[in-house]
Amino acid sequence: MTTIAEFMTANHKTCDNEFADAETAALTDDWADAETAFNAFNDDMAHHFRMEEEVLFPALASAGGPSGPVQVMLMEHTQIRELLGQMAAAVKQKDAQEYSGLSETLLMVMQQHNHKEENILYPIMDQILAREREALLGRFQAV
Amino acid sequence: MKIASLSAEQAPPISLPLRFFTMAPVFLALAALLLALAGGNPFAELRSPAQIAATHHITLGFMAMIMMGAIQQLLPVVIGSPMPAPRLVAWLTFLPLIAGALSLSAGFMLGRTELLNLSWPLLGLAFLVFIVASLTSLARASAKNATKTALLLAILSLAGAVTFGMLLAAGYANGLPLPFAKLATAHISLALGGWVLLLAIGVSYQVVPMFQLTPNYPKWMTAALAPAIFATLLLNLALLLPEAAPRWAGFIAEALFWSLACCFAVVTLRLQTQRRRHIPDAPLNFFRVSMFSLLLAAAFSLAALAFPMAVNHLRTLSALAFLLGFALSLIQGMLYKIVPFLVWFHLFRGGLKTGVPNMKNIIPEPWIWRHLWLHSSTLLAALLAPWWNAAAWLVMLGLLLQGALLGYGVITGIAVYRRTFRKIEQTQP
Repeated sequence: MTTIAEFMTANHKTCDNEFADAETAALTDDWADAETAFNAFNDDMAHHFRMEEEVLFPALASAGGPSGPVQVMLMEHTQIRELLGQMAAAVKQKDAQEYSGLSETLLMVMQQHNHKEENILYPIMDQILAREREALLGRFQAV
Repeated sequence: MKIASLSAEQAPPISLPLRFFTMAPVFLALAALLLALAGGNPFAELRSPAQIAATHHITLGFMAMIMMGAIQQLLPVVIGSPMPAPRLVAWLTFLPLIAGALSLSAGFMLGRTELLNLSWPLLGLAFLVFIVASLTSLARASAKNATKTALLLAILSLAGAVTFGMLLAAGYANGLPLPFAKLATAHISLALGGWVLLLAIGVSYQVVPMFQLTPNYPKWMTAALAPAIFATLLLNLALLLPEAAPRWAGFIAEALFWSLACCFAVVTLRLQTQRRRHIPDAPLNFFRVSMFSLLLAAAFSLAALAFPMAVNHLRTLSALAFLLGFALSLIQGMLYKIVPFLVWFHLFRGGLKTGVPNMKNIIPEPWIWRHLWLHSSTLLAALLAPWWNAAAWLVMLGLLLQGALLGYGVITGIAVYRRTFRKIEQTQP
């Protein structure tokens, strides 16, 4: 059966690939493709955050899990959302240079964030939320 | 399970790593000046006092300076465990490392034994503090991954390299009857083959897939490579113990080491061709120059085993390809990612949401590309330098300019940080 760590890590990879597609399109000034790819990326990031913020984090909290790491992850979600917002503006203005600097920055933040989740937080969740795992994974589509 | 490792405040203050990164380019430029002062062609004889002094400016003042500054920054990211007492550790590594590197090279250049006797305890202190702090951090890390193993083996190699280095300096200064040639071989193989290579491997396992968006390193490799390299290093050391080990044994042990090093370079280059991110990226190119140089260093060393009549030149070339090619490319490429990120990260955390420059507005990209070309040209000149005196001058000029360029980059980053930080203070009284 899929663990939370496996499912969420695979979701990170999907977002990474969309990130790369959007960046390549933007930097080659292919703005039609860039907009489509960026929107797909942005939507999947938003969905990923909702899976965490509306399903996983509350479940962890009510199971008596640690709150400190979740606070850090939420803070980093804010940073990432901020950068995504600035990137959306760069796509609108068709500003390749600005986009490239922002996507470089986002990549650094996002990858360190993912790394912490994949290596520390998700394994904690798989341990503490072992019994409700299937139900939680089932709720992901709805958020 | 260590949950504290997700703490928000695990990143040390920005001034700690930047202090190391600002000082390092000064040593690179000083190394170039030492080589110029030496007269003649210092690359023709790698063990001349001037060459030893310049080499240690590069290995201690530049490489170790950046590696130790960067590791304090990287440990929380790659193994989820910060260094204990970061400020104290930073000062107790930074100051004795500067004083130790300067007195060591001055001791060699001027032939002053009292300077050498000053240098080895200082360097011993700097590395002891660093080694104890990083081992503590490793012991506290909850992560059990290949990077942690490689880092542990790198740090153990460093401990050995430093011990042999201190013995060499003390022995040379005080005329002790030591087996200098064997100690020097042990010192160099643990410092470069152990500390530098294993650290590069451990960090690459994380950094390459994460930031270059490549597939992960194959499992067989992350499980076995670093321990195998460490084992071949120990084998090479063991062969130094008897009065005269059989030639074939030394041949096999060295060939094994270089084959494993090549394995790392080839797999990394192959992963980089499969990367998802297809944008021009100067630091990525530094990384690739580094991997090609490692292959080149291996080729020269293997050729030295096969052609004993050209052994001196081939070994010199291997050392140049390893130090200036493999190590310097990797370190500088990483620094061009680390410095802009640190500046951005600390400004963003400072509370300013808009008006924080993105990473590419912190160190201007064209300068990084210029540095890449300058670095590649320096490297090409270095490969001709043992024979061609004019190329030796080009290497010195190249290193001097690289020190200046990198210093400019780091200082530009600091200036952007300070400027933006003042803006934050003005807007948030």
